[in-house]
Amino acid sequence: MIPAGLSLDQAPPIDVPLRFFLTAPWFLVLAAALSLWQGPAIFASRWLPATLALTHLLVLGFMAQVMLGALLQMLPVVVGVVVPRPRLTATLIHLPLTLGALALAAAFLSGVPAWFQVAWWLLGLGFGVALFAVHLALWRAPVAGGTVIALRCALAALLVTVGLGLLLGGFFGWGWRLPVVAVTYLHAAWGLIGWTVLLVAGVAYQVVPMFQITPPYPRWFVRGFAPLMAALLVAWSAFAFGGLETAATLTSAALAGGVALFALTTLYLLGQRRRKIGDPTLMYWRTGMGSLLAGAVLWLLGLSVPALGRLPQFELLLGILPIFGFAVAAINGMLYKIVPFLAWFHLQAQLFQRAKVPTMKQLLPDAAIRRQWWAYLGALLLSLAATVSPAVLTYLAALTLAATGVWLGVNLAGVWRIYRRTLREADP
Amino acid sequence: MSEPDISDILVDGRGLEPPEPMEKVLAALDQLKPGQRVRFLIHRQPYPLYDLLRRYCYRYETAAVADGSYEILISGP
Repeated sequence: MIPAGLSLDQAPPIDVPLRFFLTAPWFLVLAAALSLWQGPAIFASRWLPATLALTHLLVLGFMAQVMLGALLQMLPVVVGVVVPRPRLTATLIHLPLTLGALALAAAFLSGVPAWFQVAWWLLGLGFGVALFAVHLALWRAPVAGGTVIALRCALAALLVTVGLGLLLGGFFGWGWRLPVVAVTYLHAAWGLIGWTVLLVAGVAYQVVPMFQITPPYPRWFVRGFAPLMAALLVAWSAFAFGGLETAATLTSAALAGGVALFALTTLYLLGQRRRKIGDPTLMYWRTGMGSLLAGAVLWLLGLSVPALGRLPQFELLLGILPIFGFAVAAINGMLYKIVPFLAWFHLQAQLFQRAKVPTMKQLLPDAAIRRQWWAYLGALLLSLAATVSPAVLTYLAALTLAATGVWLGVNLAGVWRIYRRTLREADP
Repeated sequence: MSEPDISDILVDGRGLEPPEPMEKVLAALDQLKPGQRVRFLIHRQPYPLYDLLRRYCYRYETAAVADGSYEILISGP
């Protein structure tokens, strides 16, 4: 029989996740516009206000946007728990997050404390609601498998990331006194490793075997990876803050090793897939995991050759590889699985045995996905190259980033258009 | 779990890429005659399918199989 607690209508209305997914691509376009406007200076250092604005357009406007939307969608389907009041919850996350990302970019660019204050309240509200709703659902989960464990660790890390972000926002907005450089390092590490890598890992345990038809991740890995990484992050934070340099360096190396292990395991599994025809999202997974591995190796190199770690390009590459190379790729690939599936599923639910429902391939043809991937790959390679010679390549990188963002937005909006048209034609 | 019946329509969705298993089940339900059932084998809990089945008032029973997959017996509304 069905386990208790799974008998409610599981899937939230389609507009709950889709509002996040259809908004996100346009933040890639905004990030591109900002790079075009700022020009090569944006690649001078990660600490420049414009670079921080660009980073937050990507991590808040694109990444967090899709990750939170996907969680609202995924929790009911994969874990079997229902997020309370899905439409209201989604609005209270989506709207403040979108406006907050814009306000924070404006704050960095203008340096005006009032903008930081606006962003602080908006992002505090959006993430507050998200953390409350998703934590509530996740701790009620009837099954505590590897994915739930990883999602719990990722959500705890998001809590830390947002907390530290709000502290930094307080520094810029109200002049709170804090060791701003140290807090920024912690904020970035918890956000990229704790929240992003662990969330992608938790999702990958499900979707890599499911969609790429690979063997499952090893059991020890599924259960142990996320808690171990979370524990390492706690230890690293304590050592770094307590001034225990050797211990902090060793823990940092262990974190990089863990990240590399996840990337290698996933690449290995992708190599073992049973389907011979290459799935177009496979390229996104491979690019993402390749970038993550490259980031981890670079990080280890930086730890062993300190002179390398002091180059400005080093920190920029350590930002571009995990953010644009890994997270944006993984998310972009997943969007192509989630959005057509949602449209197809909701059409089935409404038109079952009444009208013909388009297949997933009709909703979003493979060719459209492949072409956008080439634009994405171009944007990634040009951005990496632009850290070395920004004068020539910044504009080219920005233009290809704009192209990949527009293309993604158009592809996803196309699915929505067919969805609406199919419903209209079935019920004239 | 009820006993297998020779008249059951068997749908094996194990190892197929989503949403192919669900497409196959829905196609089988389309052909279901009164009193007949669909016997659906799948490698994971098909939560989204349960939504559809409930919405259209199908009755279903799920049993976990020893190899980690599930067997779902669906009968008409």
